Amino acid sequence: MLTYAIRRLLIAIPTLFGVVLLVFLMVRLAPGDPAVLLAGEFATPETLRAIRERYGLDRPLPEQFLLYLGALLRGDLGESARSRRPVLEELKTYFPNTVELAVAAILVALLTGIPLGILAALRPGSGLDLGVMTLALLGVSMPVFWFGLLAILIFSVNLGWFPVAGKGTLAHLVLPAVTLGVNATALLARMTRGTLLEVLSQDYIRTARAKGLRERVVVFKHALRNAMIPVVTVAGLEFGSLLAGAVITETIFAWPGLGQLLVGSILARDYPVVQGAVLLVATSFILVNLLVDLLYAWIDPRVRYD
Amino acid sequence: MRKAFFALGLALLATAWAQQRLVVAQGTDPITLDAPLAQDSPSATVVTHISETLFELTPEGKIVPLLAEGHSFSDGGKTLTIRLKRGITFHDGTPFNAEAVRFNLERFVSRELASPFAFLLSELDRVEVVDTHTVRLRLKNPFAPILAHLTHSSTAIQSPTAIQRFGAQYRDNPVGTGPYRFQAWQKGQFVDLVRNENYWGEKPPIPQVRFIPVPEGTTRVALVETGQAHVAVRIPPQDIARLQANRAVEVVRTPSLRTIYIYFNTQRPPFNDARVRQAINHAVNKEEILQFVLGGIGRISDAPIAPGIFGYASIGKYEYNPQRAQELLRQAGVSTPLRVTLHCPTGRYFQDIQVCEAIQGQLRRVGVEATIQTLEWGAYLQETQRPLRENRIQMAMLGWGTVTGDADYGLYPLFHSSQWAPGFNRAFYKNPEVDKLLAQARISTLPQGRQQLYREAMARIWRDAPWVFLHSEVQVTAVRQEVQGFIVHPTERYLAYKARFR
Repeated sequence: MLTYAIRRLLIAIPTLFGVVLLVFLMVRLAPGDPAVLLAGEFATPETLRAIRERYGLDRPLPEQFLLYLGALLRGDLGESARSRRPVLEELKTYFPNTVELAVAAILVALLTGIPLGILAALRPGSGLDLGVMTLALLGVSMPVFWFGLLAILIFSVNLGWFPVAGKGTLAHLVLPAVTLGVNATALLARMTRGTLLEVLSQDYIRTARAKGLRERVVVFKHALRNAMIPVVTVAGLEFGSLLAGAVITETIFAWPGLGQLLVGSILARDYPVVQGAVLLVATSFILVNLLVDLLYAWIDPRVRYD
Repeated sequence: MRKAFFALGLALLATAWAQQRLVVAQGTDPITLDAPLAQDSPSATVVTHISETLFELTPEGKIVPLLAEGHSFSDGGKTLTIRLKRGITFHDGTPFNAEAVRFNLERFVSRELASPFAFLLSELDRVEVVDTHTVRLRLKNPFAPILAHLTHSSTAIQSPTAIQRFGAQYRDNPVGTGPYRFQAWQKGQFVDLVRNENYWGEKPPIPQVRFIPVPEGTTRVALVETGQAHVAVRIPPQDIARLQANRAVEVVRTPSLRTIYIYFNTQRPPFNDARVRQAINHAVNKEEILQFVLGGIGRISDAPIAPGIFGYASIGKYEYNPQRAQELLRQAGVSTPLRVTLHCPTGRYFQDIQVCEAIQGQLRRVGVEATIQTLEWGAYLQETQRPLRENRIQMAMLGWGTVTGDADYGLYPLFHSSQWAPGFNRAFYKNPEVDKLLAQARISTLPQGRQQLYREAMARIWRDAPWVFLHSEVQVTAVRQEVQGFIVHPTERYLAYKARFR
């Protein structure tokens, strides 16, 4: 197991290198002179020259890349071209907030989606089952943007139950977490229902029932544990994508996360921040995937990687 | 019973305490609080509360002394002597004096700082300290707009002690002479300011101000509706009607100094003929655009610059007249349908692409087939900036904010022939008479003389029609009823220092 983990980590390195190279190229090949964007629309040629000099934008591309790579290996992610703060500092300010939101969202998904899926699987074909499946369909189809704004209008403006936006108390976390988690909730509900139904039709379940075990024990002790394996996997992967994809939710709820930083930086061609942020997201994604695979092997004794 | 009173007391206390702080919801978090580097409106807004300039541009467009006491020009306009107000200290106790002014102005134009606004003082040769409260600015050439340029928030005077002490960290710890002092900045969440109890001028009524970044317009509106914010800037048009019906909120409209226009490449056919340009101006129905596309939010241009700018005068009107347009096209020998490309940004200016689409429809009626080409903003700037030889643009929409409140800045970079792209004269407009008038107006330090010169220059520009003169923008801000005296400045800054709770 350990060797497997180490091997996976080693493979991650060339992957990350590829990510760095790709982002570096994409950001620089995008049309639009970054010096003009950074200097502002009223800047004179002198200011543009000064900015180009400062950020090495006038050097040849391969040289810029090597300089960046060298700095990266020393732990220096450069400084934001807009705010002139170290990129690492910017990331440290915004990323934890995104993690907080993603964790809250996945918790919402786990605590709501899985029970709903279980209920539906225990009464297949019933009205409850149909209801849950319809809700799930809505959940994956609803645009996050629309849902978020609707949530604000109903629960904040009209009912006054929650604050409108921003980060502060636990109350501030509720609406954004629910909004971000809706898709994942629906997904997990469907998955849970599907895998549990499949497991419940297995022979060993029939054996358990024949042994005379109470239905609750059959379901929760035997069936569920096996059904959870793929669900956990999917939940882990969803978490990884929540980390990367919270931009819309963060924008609507003014949540100070990485998504906001990233969008602003892309529009302003703030290269160092874009590169740093994407690298961070890619690294997190790789780590989360690795953890999910290890978790999977730990839960299901049949899975062996070596 | 006692519990109820206690709860009531707490609630009242909470409201009273809450009324100690004004919350302003802006579109983004400030990027920096170091005045020369504060380019975006949210940064400039917060900076204005903390650091002050030598002169102030009032919302009505007048230049008045702020940190200055008085000034005089000499040496044919090449020397500006400024007397400073006495008894002022920075928030950290450092005295405000001529040395501090020199430090700041030299830093402002320094190459290492690379301020995007350094061009504002490009005519500055050197700053001399005459005595503790008198500075002398020596200019390379006479430059009348210098006073207007010294009203720009980027030229604010900040504490030299703090700048030297904090170094690169100064941008997160601004120290000025202003009515509010910096207290805290939680990046991405809020900036907190507290009243400067030792302020040299009239102390602001409200003790604390908080600026919060809220990117989504509808969310800003919701914050004001629920009272979680007191001011929301840039209200989306679809929320205006709802807000106007809400008695707890007031919708304030303020003209901006930003003009929106479509420029022509005046050096290439078909737009090298003034008649064709005038024809387009007559073919565009600006009233229709204002009413239906802008929802009434805007002011149709009657000059190349907006009112409120020194030097503005109402010059003329290109009334909607499709017949006249067609006649002019005929006179110019243009065969219809005339196919052109109209470049337009998306989401950069209020309803930009929608305005272009409306114009496309209007042009079709006079036999001009315009194809709209849109680009992402970075690419757009690059395309429009190309020098004549490489420039492929025929018509493009742009906006220009006359950030100094002085006509020189609104006209010289855009219409003087020395400013052809990659400068800002992207229309490649050239009129020697206009050149002469604009150059003269820079040198003359008599206000009436300058105004007359600008009027003449603008009359010629209007006739030559290097632009389709569209409209100047109007800012729509939501302010809670219980707030009185909040100022929305035409330079797109939101000022709380005269605000009070009813």
